[in-house]
Amino acid sequence: MEERKLTEKESLEVITSMIARTKARYFGSGNILCMWGYLAVFESILIWILLAYTHQNVWNWLWFAIPVIGMPVTFVMRRREKRTYGAVTYSDKITSRLWSIFGISEIVLTLICLGFSLIGGIKCWTAMLVYTLIAAPVAEIAQGMIVKEKSLTWGGIVGLAVGMVTVCCVVGNIPLLAKWFMPLFILFWVVMMIVPGHIINHKTKHQK
Amino acid sequence: MKELNPLLHSQLRLAIMSILMNVEEADFVYLKEKTESTAGNLSVQIDKLSSAGYIAVEKGMSGNRPRTSCSITAEGIKAFEEYVDALKSYLNL
Repeated sequence: MEERKLTEKESLEVITSMIARTKARYFGSGNILCMWGYLAVFESILIWILLAYTHQNVWNWLWFAIPVIGMPVTFVMRRREKRTYGAVTYSDKITSRLWSIFGISEIVLTLICLGFSLIGGIKCWTAMLVYTLIAAPVAEIAQGMIVKEKSLTWGGIVGLAVGMVTVCCVVGNIPLLAKWFMPLFILFWVVMMIVPGHIINHKTKHQK
Repeated sequence: MKELNPLLHSQLRLAIMSILMNVEEADFVYLKEKTESTAGNLSVQIDKLSSAGYIAVEKGMSGNRPRTSCSITAEGIKAFEEYVDALKSYLNL
């Protein structure tokens, strides 16, 4: 493209052509979703096995390895994706902020639960589980609607259903027994993160 | 009839502005690829748009590589909208 004067008709053609080129739908990478999904599934299985064999609640601290590993890895992966694509769209920005808000709220909730535990000796860690199982699917449904990706929306809906069942169990004092809750929790991550992640990667691959 | 803004009435500058109207932020490589222009020419036109206050240019590093990132300013959006309005009147749209 050169720097030259245009006729009015050519101007219009330049504008429409550039809009079309930037509008070519970019699905993005599903790698971040897959990373969270596989990390959570791996952790869940590991903790499940450790708890079953040792009956030591101390292994529950390993749940914190999910955000401790996931957050910095996400930061690095997001920067790499931005470099690869070269542009940030409005929907990219909104979804990124949506997940950032979720991440920050998780950190704040962790601190509150820790405060309750250390100061009052009150164990309210279940609140974190319930919050994650409700807030993460809501964020994913919103992301799915913003980027018009059905696998995200449906993954979020299934995840939200799991979250609602968990809330009812907690409020109704039904114990979340590992033998049925852990498979459900693993299913939550598979449907919410791993499946949409691979679908998005597949679409991006076939778009090139 | 409104006069067409001479700064925007040029193929490459108009292309850059059209792209930046559609994305929040775009880097130099992306703009070069979409506009199919040479690096030297693109750099000159980015400077002109930046000097006019139509786009904001941020230079930084991405890993070990330098990265130039461009985004449209409020003034740029206004100028582009006025340009499109003037274009409409010329083309009787």
